[in-house]
Parts: sequence; C-alpha cells; structure tokens
Amino acid sequence: MGEIMSDKHDHPHDHHDHDHDHKHGEVKLPAKEKPAPAPEPAADRAVEDAGTQALSDALRSSFAIVKVLMVVLVLAFLGSGIFTVSSQERAMILRFGKPVGVGADQLLGPGLHWSWPAPVDEVVRIPITTSQLVRSTAGWYATTPEAEASGSEPGPNASLTPGADGYTITSDGNIIHVRAEMRYRVVDPLQYELSFTASSNILVNILDEALFFASSQFTVDQALTSDRVGFKEKILNRVRQRVEDLKLGITVDQPDIRVIPPRQTKTAFDNALAAEIERRKALDDARSYSGRILSTAEGEANSVINAGQTDKVRLEQGIASEAQYYKDQLPHYRDNPGLFMARVQSDVLGRVMTNTTKWFIPQPAAGKQREFRVLFNRDPEKPVAPQDQEQQPPQNR
Amino acid sequence: MIIFALLLFTFQVRQTDIVVVTTFGRPARTETEPGLKFKWPYPIQKITRFDKRVQNFEDDFEETLTRDNYNLLAMVYVGWTIANPSNFFNSFPTGRPETAHPALKGLIRSAKNSAVGRHTFSDFISTDARQLKFVEIEQEMLTSIKDDALKRYGIGLEFLGIKKLGLPESVTQKVFDRMTAERQREVERLKAEGEAAAMRIRSKADADRDAILAQAEAKATEIRGQADAKAAESFAAFKQNPELAVFLLKLNALEQSLKTRSTLILDEGTPPFDLLKGQSVQGGAQGTAPQSTGSANR
Repeated sequence: MGEIMSDKHDHPHDHHDHDHDHKHGEVKLPAKEKPAPAPEPAADRAVEDAGTQALSDALRSSFAIVKVLMVVLVLAFLGSGIFTVSSQERAMILRFGKPVGVGADQLLGPGLHWSWPAPVDEVVRIPITTSQLVRSTAGWYATTPEAEASGSEPGPNASLTPGADGYTITSDGNIIHVRAEMRYRVVDPLQYELSFTASSNILVNILDEALFFASSQFTVDQALTSDRVGFKEKILNRVRQRVEDLKLGITVDQPDIRVIPPRQTKTAFDNALAAEIERRKALDDARSYSGRILSTAEGEANSVINAGQTDKVRLEQGIASEAQYYKDQLPHYRDNPGLFMARVQSDVLGRVMTNTTKWFIPQPAAGKQREFRVLFNRDPEKPVAPQDQEQQPPQNR
Repeated sequence: MIIFALLLFTFQVRQTDIVVVTTFGRPARTETEPGLKFKWPYPIQKITRFDKRVQNFEDDFEETLTRDNYNLLAMVYVGWTIANPSNFFNSFPTGRPETAHPALKGLIRSAKNSAVGRHTFSDFISTDARQLKFVEIEQEMLTSIKDDALKRYGIGLEFLGIKKLGLPESVTQKVFDRMTAERQREVERLKAEGEAAAMRIRSKADADRDAILAQAEAKATEIRGQADAKAAESFAAFKQNPELAVFLLKLNALEQSLKTRSTLILDEGTPPFDLLKGQSVQGGAQGTAPQSTGSANR
C-alpha cells in the first residue's frame, strides 16, 4: 500500500516538466515493452517515436482548435443575448417565463441590453410610441376601400342585407351609416402585452359598440347635422370609458368619424339640405335687410336729432341776437320812433328788393274796380337765365 | 447531460400562461405562477399550456325578439379568461381557446335571447338617456352567463358589449320609405319656417325703424322745445317796447322770406315805390310796412 502510494506520488514528479500527452506516451511505452522478452531494434524504436510524436502534435493542435472554437462558441452564445431597444418600444425579459424585475423596473428603455439566450431568457418587445390604427366598419354598407377610392362602388340595393351591410339605428328609429378610424398608443406596456391576447381586436369591438351606443341616443338629424360634435363626443367618451374600465393599457386619440344617411334616401336628404340652405338664406337676407334698414334708421334718427339741435342753436342765437339788436336800437327808437322806423324799413326794403322781381299794378280808371288775374301753367316753364326772365313779359296775367 | 436532464425534468411557465400538469392523463396540479417548474418526464407527467390573458370572442349576428315583438338583430362581444384551469381542461383538453368558442356561443345566444326578450325595442334606442337601457342590457347578459360559464367550463367572463344591432332586411326598406317621407315633411317645414322667420325679422326691423325715427323726432321736438323755452327768456327783453319789437320782428321775417329769388306784385302806392309816382314820402314817417298785394317765390 505504501509502495503504491509512493509510486503514485513519484509518478507525476518524474514528468513534471512534460506535456500531458507526451508524458503519457513515455510512461506507456516502457509498460508495453515490459512483457517483451527481447529488446527491439533501435531503428524500429526511432520510427515509432516519430509516429507517436506526429500523433501527439496532431492531437495537441486539434485540442487547441477545439479550445478556440469552444471559446468562440461561448462568446457567440453569450453575445447572442445582446439586443437593442429602440426609442419607439420597450422590452421586458422573461427568465424561465417570469418577468425580470418588479413593477416599472420590468421595462427596459431604449439602448443596448443583454439577456441570457434562449431558453433561459425571452425578450418581449412592446411598441409604445408609434400610434396604431383601428377601424370600425360595423355601421358601414358593404364596400371595399379600392371601390371607394376609384368611385366604382355598386349602387345601393332597395334594402340593407344583415351581415353584409352595416348601419346603426338612431334614437328615432332611423338608419344611418357610421364608421370610425381611431389611433391609439400603448401607455402601460405590461398591461397591454400581458393581460390581453389581442388588444386591438378588443378596441375595434369597443369602437363598434360606441357607434351603436351613441347612435341609440341621437336622432338622425342630430347625428347628421345639428349635433355632430355631440355625437362624436359621445363616441369618444364611450370608448375612453370602456378602455379605462377594461384597463387596456392604452390611450386613444380623437377618432375620425364619418356619418352619412342611407344611400337609398340620399335624394330626400339632399332636398332637405337644400331646403335648409334656402331657409338659412332667407333668414340671412332678412337679417341683412334688418341690419340695413336699422342702420339707415339710426342714421336718419341722428340726422333728425342733429337738425333739431341745429334749429335749437339757430333759434337761440337768432332770438338772442334779435334781442340784443332790439336792446341796442331801443334808445334810438325812443328818440324818434317814426324816423327810426322809416329808416330801418327803408334799409330792409332796400336789401330785400334787390333780388326780387317786381310787378306794379296800375291804378284803375276812376270808377272801375281793380282786377288782377294770375294764371299758372300746368307745365313747368323751362328754366331760363335770370336776366332773360327779367326782360320777358309774363305770359299770363 | 445536465441540459438534457433539465429538459426532461423541468418546464417553464410563461407570465401569460397557465399550465396544467397531468400524471398519466389525470390532472395533478395547475401552475399559474411564472418560472421554472419541476415535472416527472414523459410519459409519467405531461403538461398542457393555456393562455391566461383576456381573449376576445364575438358571436353571430342573429335575430332575437324583443318583448314588444320586434325582430332585432344583435351581435355581442365578450372578453373571457381561463378562470378555472382544471374545469377548462376537463371541458377542452387541447387547451386551444377556439375549442371553447362553440360553448361560449351557446351561452351567449341564450343570454342574448333572454335579455332582449325582457326589454322593449325602445329600451335599445332613446333620446332620453334615462330611458335608454343599452348598458343595463349588456350588464344583464353578462350577469346571466357569468356564473354558468365559470361552473360549467371554467371560463371567466370579464366583459360583454353589444357589437352590432340591426333590423331585418325587409324592415330596412320600410325605414327608408319613412325616412324619405320624413325628409319631405322636413323640406316643407323648413320652407314654411324660413319664410315665417324671415317675415318676422323684416317686420320687426320695420317696426324698430319706425320706433327709432319716432324717438328721434320726439327728441328733436324736445330739443326745439328747449330752444323755444330759452328763446322765451330772450323775448322778455322785448316787453319794454312791444311796438318796436313787433316792427323789428316783422322786418326780420320779411327779409328772411325774400332771401330767395321772389317776385313781388305791388300796388303803385306801396312805399317806397310811391316815389315813382312823384309823390313825396308823405306819411313815411309813420313807417308802414310794405303793402304787397301778393308775392310768389320761385
């Protein structure tokens, strides 16, 4: 036992400075040779040593290659776990299916990240900033976007086929077509990804429901014309409420909603629209008339008041100046009333007679009564120059 | 070797999965928490995965009868989950969600028929939000099948909504006829209303104009009245010698009236034209006003 141990102990010491392979060869060779009774020729031994050496070299280089390959493979394996997250998405790592991190830490932001390669880790990417679009056509007649774009939609049938043609029912029991397009963004990626299999399908259903829900509370006139804004608000509010209730982890934008009457009633609706336009025009005309005449009346009223004001000033000033004149003249009058009156009268007559045409009626012969006749033409006279008129004798006397 | 053993003896439960482990085909346990779990290798134990997230399902657009015997087409959507994996596994062993759809369809159909049958047509559409029972009907449908779905199939119904409502095809045509007639009435109403409203606006405007002018006239008269009142104060000065005052006022009036071009027809004796007859200004000192027998302004 002690020998064995000693042998075992010595054995590595003997070949301490040698390669493992080489050591092995050297140790084995004497062991193989031991049973041989006769010693082999030296030439044979040399050949065998060379072969062993070559094999040993080949094995050594193979192992080196394998080692390098192993290292490369390990590096490649680990490197395959590197991934990037763009600014428009978030990622989470599921390690053996379980999210790594707690709460908001589960989400990896934009940048370079590393995870264990599959099957240890799984990277789940969730788009967040790019808004996504959902469409609801549950309330629209059967058509295709291509036919609509090219204007080659088939004309309407007399009735609407359930399943093929969509429409909603208004609160007054009428039919309208409504469709909506709505964009949404993910605000809670964990909820969006981990709680629902197909959030967008659920959102389409919610949008469909909102169209019918809103239609059921609006009359056809309200939805089409008088309260379009309210109708759209109702749809949006309903969608937002449902999205909130169901905790879809998204936020929705204002939907783009189109509402039209059934194509089967288009002419009737067009006529009503034309009548409405006519009504508005009649009202606008009336309002315009009202504005115009009231504005004119205001002007006239101002003019009348101003005239009154002018009269007032003229009267006041006129009387005041007459009173002043009177006061000034009173002493002269009192001096000699007759002379004063004659002078003043002559002054005035002198002034006023300058511009007047004067005709004198001669005294009739004694005993005859004075007769004076004036006959005016029905037709107005042609205007003539004043000096000419002065010379003309009156046509009729 | 280690990897091989791991593959044989373990399995992953993803965050979104529920796994039912069966031992020789019999459900042994359910794994709902995510992570790496142990199992005996096949064929001793076998796993079946289920998606535990909310799934979407829509039923058919089918006719149902309202309480007041209107045919109404309705389609609903539901969000459902596997709430009891063992029950669900027993009912749908493959674990594929679509295998549960026929059962869901049956449940929803009966809930839809009974809920619609309890309500009148007007409960689905109303201008009065208090009368509208749209949301209540959805809630009734959900409540009526929730327990049944869980007990019978292990399905949890999370939400339900009406996706579509409609009328039978033949009815739509009648609705169009009615709508057309309504529009025609609307056209007539709009015409009449427009004319009447325009007339009202015009007549009111006329009345307002008259009122404005009348007020202006009144105001002007008032202003003139104020002037007359003030003038009267000035007239007080004339009381000192009314004869002179009257004479001066007459002269003033005469001058004002003859400012424009006028023709006077005078008696030969009218001063001062009596001078033309060679007479003196006899009596002129008494100062009589011109005695025109007539005048005409032109």
